[in-house]
Amino acid sequence: MSAGALRVALAGNPNVGKTSLFNELTGARHKVGNYAGVTVETREGAVAARWRPARAITVIDLPGTYSLTPVSEDEAVAFRCLHGDGAPAPDLVVLVVDAANLARNLYLAAQLCELGRPLVLALNMMDVAAAAGVPVDVDALGRALGVPVVPTVARTGEGVAALVERIGAFGQELWDMSEVRGRLLSEPPPGPLRGLGPARARWLLAAQAGGTLELTGASAAERAALGEVGEEAARSAAAAQVVARYAEVDRVLAAIGHMAGDRAPAMDRSARIDRVLTHRVWGLLIFLLVMAALFQSIFSWAEPLMGVIEGGIAWLSGQVKELLAPGVFTDLLTEGVIAGVGNVLVFVPQIALLFLFIGLLEDTGYMARAAFLVDRLMARVGLHGKAFVPLLSGYACAIPAILGTRTISSFRDRLVTIMMIPFMSCSARLPVYVLLISALFDGDARLGPFSQASLVLLLMYVLSTVSALAVGAIYKRTILKGPTPPLVLELPPYRLPRVRNTLLQVYDRTADFVRDAGTVILAMTVVLWALLSFPKPPEAPADVDPVEQRSPIAYSVGGRVGQAMEPLLEPMGQDFRMGIAILGSFAAREVFVSTLGLVYGIEADDEDNVPLRAALREAKRADGGPRYTALSGLALMVFFVYACQCMSTLAVVRRETRSWRWPLLMFVSMTALAYVMAVLVYQVGRWLGYP
Amino acid sequence: MRLTLRARVVEACRDLPSSLAELAPGKRARVTAVEGGGGLMLRLLEMGFVPGTVVTLVKRAPFGDPLEFQVRGCHVSLRAAEAGWIQAVPA
Repeated sequence: MSAGALRVALAGNPNVGKTSLFNELTGARHKVGNYAGVTVETREGAVAARWRPARAITVIDLPGTYSLTPVSEDEAVAFRCLHGDGAPAPDLVVLVVDAANLARNLYLAAQLCELGRPLVLALNMMDVAAAAGVPVDVDALGRALGVPVVPTVARTGEGVAALVERIGAFGQELWDMSEVRGRLLSEPPPGPLRGLGPARARWLLAAQAGGTLELTGASAAERAALGEVGEEAARSAAAAQVVARYAEVDRVLAAIGHMAGDRAPAMDRSARIDRVLTHRVWGLLIFLLVMAALFQSIFSWAEPLMGVIEGGIAWLSGQVKELLAPGVFTDLLTEGVIAGVGNVLVFVPQIALLFLFIGLLEDTGYMARAAFLVDRLMARVGLHGKAFVPLLSGYACAIPAILGTRTISSFRDRLVTIMMIPFMSCSARLPVYVLLISALFDGDARLGPFSQASLVLLLMYVLSTVSALAVGAIYKRTILKGPTPPLVLELPPYRLPRVRNTLLQVYDRTADFVRDAGTVILAMTVVLWALLSFPKPPEAPADVDPVEQRSPIAYSVGGRVGQAMEPLLEPMGQDFRMGIAILGSFAAREVFVSTLGLVYGIEADDEDNVPLRAALREAKRADGGPRYTALSGLALMVFFVYACQCMSTLAVVRRETRSWRWPLLMFVSMTALAYVMAVLVYQVGRWLGYP
Repeated sequence: MRLTLRARVVEACRDLPSSLAELAPGKRARVTAVEGGGGLMLRLLEMGFVPGTVVTLVKRAPFGDPLEFQVRGCHVSLRAAEAGWIQAVPA
């Protein structure tokens, strides 16, 4: 972005084609920018050369919002960016409005007029408006608002050249919003706020009334002034502002011959579709089918791709081993670095598939319907209907699921959802459950038509779901306390998805994961490898019985920690070998199987664990009794239900919350809970007389 | 006997102000006032539920809540608890 470029902010409601327009303007070349301290993203890009801009133009894509009143982080960021708070203010604002829905879209125009920055209206979806029988008189609208209006169809690129020309002509003409602005600002803000700019005074007043002052970064002096206004006065003044803006919108609509009635001609087709898609029977059935497909895609369809990546990593590591002499450096390269890169890349198929699904569901408008259908269920935990898809994804893998919480607009609610997701029994826990169940439970035992093994597995899933919901409810009532967020969810018109936009978003999200969370995962893999590899054991004399001989891993720092932990592990029915495997599984839960194999000196992986199963069954305590029993296996599985044995999850939580505080809390609380629950299961089992 | 009494009460209340939460599907009402906590009140007003606006209840979600309204050319979904803060008279 060249210095001295004209800075243009792109504002607009959600679902008005703002992203399409941004991608058209910039040729989809942009960088993602984050506002300090918040997780809301803005994107910045230069207007592409193919539009032949008269000067260098930088476009800043603001979050899509219905208003600038700081009720959530999105709106706070949009206003701060427009106001020049933290970064230089834009020279010009382009407001993208849905021509088929002016009655609500122009509210944001009124707020932008108050701000007083030069404004251009991009009247998008002109084709839709015309088709719905509500064509817009472009000149009349421009005259009524006092701003230039450019009709566009962002999907086809129609009107974009004219828009770029209009932006490039900035400064050469009179922008006259003074009439509209004068009417909007005619009611002065309460006395103590008169020293502030009119837009900022109104903004802070609304934040005061809404109880969201912490989002505004208000100075001490501003807070003091607001305190003088008093709560009730702030409330009624803020409400009066909204009413005044809509009165102005109605005046503009009347000037162009539109009615602000409750009719929604552009929604007719969508309302017909909704007769099926939000129907009490068909709607729920289709919802279940869509969710099943989404779940299937990340649970199964990603599998072959993940296999390819794992195979590729194994091949690469084999090649390196062949090329280099065996030694510490080769191990560092293969088991640390290459394995670490594999640990990152293996998530890419799931993340890409989930974001492809979420993108398509959002673009078509179905996501809002899904939230509408299940909101009742989610509200019981105090969550928004939009938390459903991320939580469901958690059964496949927490990593894409946590990234998927970005669809939830309230940061507090996102956090609650993020803290719940790791409790969902992800697919990486399955190999652990399968090993323990097949090794330690009686394969022939049945309870009615069900085998004991399948019931135990089902129990783990039920336990994880119930616990996730309980934990969510607890967070909602304690440290993340807050009112159940208002739903206030727009059900936008159904539209065909823009595959290019969706794919761009998939690429952005995936690349961002690899770049940011990936480096942390890589570093943790190397550290974990070192902990489980050093120091090396002395050369063992050949005549020692291999069963008695301690495996190399037991000599390492990690192995010693595992052994030192044994007194802690005994109450939950485990020994130091399990302790080492638990430490190793911090890389990823399924690594439990191969680490336990290393401890026993047996090759084992997820697919082939037969020798390891036998070893577990035959392992004896010093007194001759079996070392592991069904009860100790159950306790260990319960431990895995609760424990956050996944460094990648922690890395992603850090990325999404932009602090180590939340991942740390997650790790400590989940580990403590896991320990307590496992001890409880084992001790109660013992007390009941199970071996 | 009890039913007729209830019917009479309903009859008597028909023209009294009530909230959007009590609207029947397909029926229209005119917003008279918006109450509730500051943030919620502002959000409801900004989504177009300003006094004087005519609103239609399109449908209820399968589990009875939330509600789908048509307001100012948009379809907006609110929970019954939120719609309860919007006072309205039949239109």
